Amino acid sequence: MKISIHIISFFLGLLVISGCSENKKKKQEATNWKFSKEIPLGNVSPIGIVAQINFLWLSDVSNNCIVKIDLDGRVIESFDGFQRPMHIAIQEDKIYVPEYTSDTVKIIDNESVSTLELKENTDAIAGIAVDGNTIAVADFYNHRIIFQQEDKVTIIGKVGYNDGELYYPTDVAIKNDLIYVADAYNNRVQVFDFTGKYIRIIGWNENIKVATGLKVTDTQVIIADFEGNRILIYDLNGNLLQIISGKFNQPTDIEIVSNKMYVVNYKGSSISVFYK
Amino acid sequence: MKNIFKQTGVLVLILLFSMASSTTVNAQTNDQELTYVKVEVKGLACPFCAYGLEKKLKEVDGVKTIKIDVEEGLAYLTVLKSKKPLKEMLEKIVTDAGFTPSSIVFSEKPFTLKDEN
Repeated sequence: MKISIHIISFFLGLLVISGCSENKKKKQEATNWKFSKEIPLGNVSPIGIVAQINFLWLSDVSNNCIVKIDLDGRVIESFDGFQRPMHIAIQEDKIYVPEYTSDTVKIIDNESVSTLELKENTDAIAGIAVDGNTIAVADFYNHRIIFQQEDKVTIIGKVGYNDGELYYPTDVAIKNDLIYVADAYNNRVQVFDFTGKYIRIIGWNENIKVATGLKVTDTQVIIADFEGNRILIYDLNGNLLQIISGKFNQPTDIEIVSNKMYVVNYKGSSISVFYK
Repeated sequence: MKNIFKQTGVLVLILLFSMASSTTVNAQTNDQELTYVKVEVKGLACPFCAYGLEKKLKEVDGVKTIKIDVEEGLAYLTVLKSKKPLKEMLEKIVTDAGFTPSSIVFSEKPFTLKDEN
């Protein structure tokens, strides 16, 4: 009798465990991004993307302009005369444009364009992040991040392959008092605090081939794998959640708005759209 | 009075003709003063690399135009003949930009570009 009870308990236990695992799987699937559509961009060679509620802004590196499009890809407005604009940022409807060739940051505010003062010399600004009065720029050829808070400047990283060292950084994000860096040719993302202290690496185990762009949300870090033609999604601690492939052609940047993810394809001259 | 108008008209025509001739001569001279350079580069994979190389090559004294062909791994330069850069100098610029130069070819005639963008 006792043996029967033990056997029944064992099978009931198995049933509960399998049920939990199924629920977890379903929950995971519910949080996964699913492909929706591709938006062709015609002549635009996009690098960076940022969003407003009903619009997307793209940096068009080949044509030296910033393009404002609607969510179907129709061009609403174009600002010309930039010198190889790369990963852009947005704050309070102002678009921050790093110019790779001129080593300056331009700000588009309605119809006017002004220049943002950087307190440190750079060599090819590949990306910018703005959070209030705090600015971080990816200083590509100097293999470092310039982190500027009012008048205080902190240099983050130096050339190398070890933890805390950078090799051609191309994008940067600021979120919850941390700085996330697309450490492009080290094929990973690195996280630093505001003092420049190394915190962690994200994406090391997935064989990323040039981590050109990133997006950080309240819960996720999303990486563009340029040569691998993938998007990799992690939680904030670097645990892999999802890998998306087969929908990209040299992806360079990611933006999320209204529960949709927009990924720009440099070579494909298009945007891949995903939903949850 | 008519003669004065005639003389003035002739003078204006001569002036315009001489200006046009001088522009043509200058254009011809400019063409003759140019050297064309094709740099083959290994590792030119992404736009950050391509436009990084463009940025570095722009610093070469006497460079008039630069075209980068990312797909083919080529950089085309138009340089003033009087400031024709040394091959070794171009090799150093390419290396400093993070790439390996494969070949550098100088020509008196423009190269045919696959893509004008």
